[in-house]
Amino acid sequence: MEPKIVAFCCKWCSSAGADLAGTSRMKYPPNIRIIRVMCSGRIEPSYILHALELGADGVIITGCHLGDCHYIAGNEQAKKRVEMTTELLETMGIDPRRLRLEWISASEGARFASVMTDFVEEIKELGHSPLGGVS
Amino acid sequence: MEEKTYACFLGCVIPNRYPGIELSTVKMLRELGVESVDMPGAGCCPAPGVFGSFDLKTWLALAARNICIAEELGCDIMTMCNGCYGSLQEADHLLKGDPLLKDKVNEILAPEMEYKGTINVKHQVEIFTDDIGIERIKEAITMPLDGLRVGVHYGCHFLKPSAVRGHGKAERPGMVDALVEVTGAKSVEYKDKMMCCGFGGGVRTRDIEVALDITKEKITNMLDAGVDCTVNPCASCHLQFDRGQVEIEHIFGDRFNLPVLYYSQLLGLAMGHDPRELGMHKQNIPTDPVLDKVEGLK
Amino acid sequence: MNIGVYVCHCGTNIAGVIDVEKVTEYATTLDGVVVARNYKYMCSDPGKDLIRSDIKENNLDRVVVAACSPTMHEKTYRDVMEEMGGNPFLFEMANIREQDSWVHTDKDMATEKAYDLVRMAVAKVRRNEPLERIEIPVTQRALIIGGGVAGMEASLDLAEQGYEVIMVEKEQSIGGHMSQLTKTFPTLDCPMCILAPKMALHEHKNITIYSFSEIEEVSGYVGNFEVSIRKKAKSVIEDLCNGCGLCQEKCPTKVLSVYDGKLGTRKAIYTLFPQAVPRIPVLDRENCLMFTKGTCGVCKKVCPTDAIDYDQQDEIITEKVGAIIVATGYAEYDPTPIEEYGYGRYKNVLTGLQFERLTNASGPTLGVLKRPSDGATPKRFAFIQCVGSRDVNTQEYCSKVCCMYTVKNARLLRDEHPESEVYIFYTDVRSAGKGYEEFYKISQEKGVKFIRGRVSEVVGLPDDNLLLRTEDTLTGDVYEVEVDMAILACALLPAEGSDKLRDILKISEGTDGFFMEAHPKLRPVDTLTDGIYLAGCAQGPRDIADTVVHAKGAASGASVLISHTKMSLDPISAYSDESVCRGCGECKLVCQFGAIEIEPLNGRLIAKVNEVLCKGCGACVGACCNGAMSIRHFKDEQINSMIEAAMEVA
Repeated sequence: MEPKIVAFCCKWCSSAGADLAGTSRMKYPPNIRIIRVMCSGRIEPSYILHALELGADGVIITGCHLGDCHYIAGNEQAKKRVEMTTELLETMGIDPRRLRLEWISASEGARFASVMTDFVEEIKELGHSPLGGVS
Repeated sequence: MEEKTYACFLGCVIPNRYPGIELSTVKMLRELGVESVDMPGAGCCPAPGVFGSFDLKTWLALAARNICIAEELGCDIMTMCNGCYGSLQEADHLLKGDPLLKDKVNEILAPEMEYKGTINVKHQVEIFTDDIGIERIKEAITMPLDGLRVGVHYGCHFLKPSAVRGHGKAERPGMVDALVEVTGAKSVEYKDKMMCCGFGGGVRTRDIEVALDITKEKITNMLDAGVDCTVNPCASCHLQFDRGQVEIEHIFGDRFNLPVLYYSQLLGLAMGHDPRELGMHKQNIPTDPVLDKVEGLK
Repeated sequence: MNIGVYVCHCGTNIAGVIDVEKVTEYATTLDGVVVARNYKYMCSDPGKDLIRSDIKENNLDRVVVAACSPTMHEKTYRDVMEEMGGNPFLFEMANIREQDSWVHTDKDMATEKAYDLVRMAVAKVRRNEPLERIEIPVTQRALIIGGGVAGMEASLDLAEQGYEVIMVEKEQSIGGHMSQLTKTFPTLDCPMCILAPKMALHEHKNITIYSFSEIEEVSGYVGNFEVSIRKKAKSVIEDLCNGCGLCQEKCPTKVLSVYDGKLGTRKAIYTLFPQAVPRIPVLDRENCLMFTKGTCGVCKKVCPTDAIDYDQQDEIITEKVGAIIVATGYAEYDPTPIEEYGYGRYKNVLTGLQFERLTNASGPTLGVLKRPSDGATPKRFAFIQCVGSRDVNTQEYCSKVCCMYTVKNARLLRDEHPESEVYIFYTDVRSAGKGYEEFYKISQEKGVKFIRGRVSEVVGLPDDNLLLRTEDTLTGDVYEVEVDMAILACALLPAEGSDKLRDILKISEGTDGFFMEAHPKLRPVDTLTDGIYLAGCAQGPRDIADTVVHAKGAASGASVLISHTKMSLDPISAYSDESVCRGCGECKLVCQFGAIEIEPLNGRLIAKVNEVLCKGCGACVGACCNGAMSIRHFKDEQINSMIEAAMEVA
């Protein structure tokens, strides 16, 4: 079975970057399910854990580059929370590589495609999440 | 002040050409409460312009090897030459900031040695300025050099690259001037004070005429400003000014006879020492005019 | 709950990859979906009619459209909902074009992904709540901070449109840096001559000027700001002073004039320049003998209207405005830290603004060219460009105006003193602008010597002449030039006090320190704080012509806002559950917009969100430890339902 990855993209930069990847007809693997939020700063650790708990093989959070946040510093909150969650995953015995944080601007369609391709490949190497089908 | 012991790094020029630099530095520091120990097995720093330009990894490994000796001793390193300081301080800076580079260098050093990054590399000027302090030096002056006009020469590698050295901007430094003026001497402004002595960057090795032409210009600028002597904190610059004057005479036919003093020699005089105790008689250009200028020195 | 799902073919853009029939069929199996259809172009009128008729026939209250990016058409469908009497927020889009059919080639997998995306959108729309837009009143007045050319232009535009304008200027006169200049490029106009008509704005019935005043505090929000202004004591009663100037004339104390680049002096009671507006002098208490020694009183004695008041106090004035324009201008970089150029050490090394004053007919030498060191007439000039600009050690940005003002000064020197030797040491000559390149070319023809290279060092010579060491990067030559005077084209920095003002206004600044616009291309006069606009160099270095354009833009932005008596705001905002909130303040710490206040409620503290200030980012929700904070349209259960739907457990 193909791995499934949940992506949280902010509305202003990274989701627009994903749209640009589409407009430019770039290709990346279809394993990503994007949830669009206003800002990466909205993402709570519980969402990441919830997705993993339900069997997601990876979670990726994307926001505006540091210093470019549409809400000034929401991405810095995202960074803090992802770092914290990464530690938590290690404690829980989940490979922290299953969680990724990337900065992708609205003009970086190519980067969106390459980041997603890279992440899907990495998750494929890691195999299915040990939590797959637990709940 | 906390008692401190440094690993004394000699390099090549000091033991081979200017033993007075080691003699005066070790002696003055001891009188001011700073001890130093020898570094058994220490080699060339190695010279940044020559080695570093050809192969960074070899240069780093050789420098790291010297640092390892001090790490074994558990002491920070004291350098008396801007070139040695430049090599060791920069190598230490690079290795501390780049774990990958550190691994590569340690592969070369293994199995005998391992660079750990546990000590710091200091210049003699930093030890006088930061560890001992101007106030304490002032108290130790018994023979103030009032009336002596000094052309201070900093040398390039002590200050640059400024982002690595961390002594602030390199255009208008004041550390050595302050150390000179605490002896009672006056640090005289002269044209192109921050210019190279002529030695650096492998110029002396590659094209001695160009190197000496630079030295000549610096000496002329100092003499135009009416100095009695030039004072430096670097064995290589010291060599270039002292030996260089003999060479200038050979090549260009100009004889200047500008006395060249290493900083701790100047300080030694002000602390009441005989010039011979400071190794000043082992130099090419006589330092007598300095002694004549300050009453009581002779 | 009746949900309708509409799958768009987008011609073959979607249908060419995704099996839209299957997706439509699949949608009907989802909980709450009463109707699912597909159509060639959902955004076309017939497409929208499908939704319209279903809302009527099938009593739909919620709609999902699986089509392109919401950036394209979310508004289109929300409008349909609203027009049909529904709530626009009971709508979701599944992006199966940009984020599916356009980026995948495997038809089965793309179709499978479309199932998931539709399922996620349906899960979300099920939990959406009807939201109402917030309506607030608007005060139809504007505050302009800064009385330079930007502030004046913006004020005049708004005042002429009939709005009341409050202008606050920290100096004692309006006019700004432009009033200091000798001539302006490319027309060689006298700045004061073209500025003076604008400075007459103090007579405009709609404009109130508070000079020698600063912004103390700003509260409120878009359309409804309350501003406290500190009107500093001038020690002169404005209503009595007639501007005769007798006090200045008789004052015995001379002080170096900052306005004149410290090349000349002013009195302890003074106006900035003869044409000052208002023409009321200010008494400088730090230097006045009355304040330093307790004796003198000459000004009070000679004043014919008894306007001098040594006991005058600062005054705090409160004004209500709907929009704020920040036009605080710039400060010239102090080049002392660039030690190799010797500024501060060598008297004949000047900054660009100092040179403007030195050559200005009303400057300290009345326009007569004299060297500061010995008063001799300089004949050889070196202009050094990019001092503190385009330099990783100081400012990386280009200050934009220096090339042209240097070319202007160099040309004036050649015009007025044909015997002079004039060098410009430049990095690049950036002469983009109408008539600028032509102006540059004329200066070349007039004999200004352009040398491409950064001067490495300025050496002071015993006769106060200067020796410049430089290279010419075009010929590769390294050489020395001796001149009588060197002029440093210093960078433009954010105005002094910008940091303080930033905190007061809660706007942001870029890494360069200038105030940050909402978008560098499309919203260059807006800030991210609604109702606050930027004009002129406050946003970044620009010349007078560009400043005027920018100021007019800011005035237009502000008038779009204050031309209404009320406005509506997006309802996506945070709110706190008062029964759960402990008032810890974590949410307030992360809020970049000052939208959260911790307030007492029944003897305890709770967080209160100002919905008008809230931008809806949701950072506070993630920061809340108690689950008290939530945000409309992106609530926990809404996001979680999408996660669950993505993982096929919804």
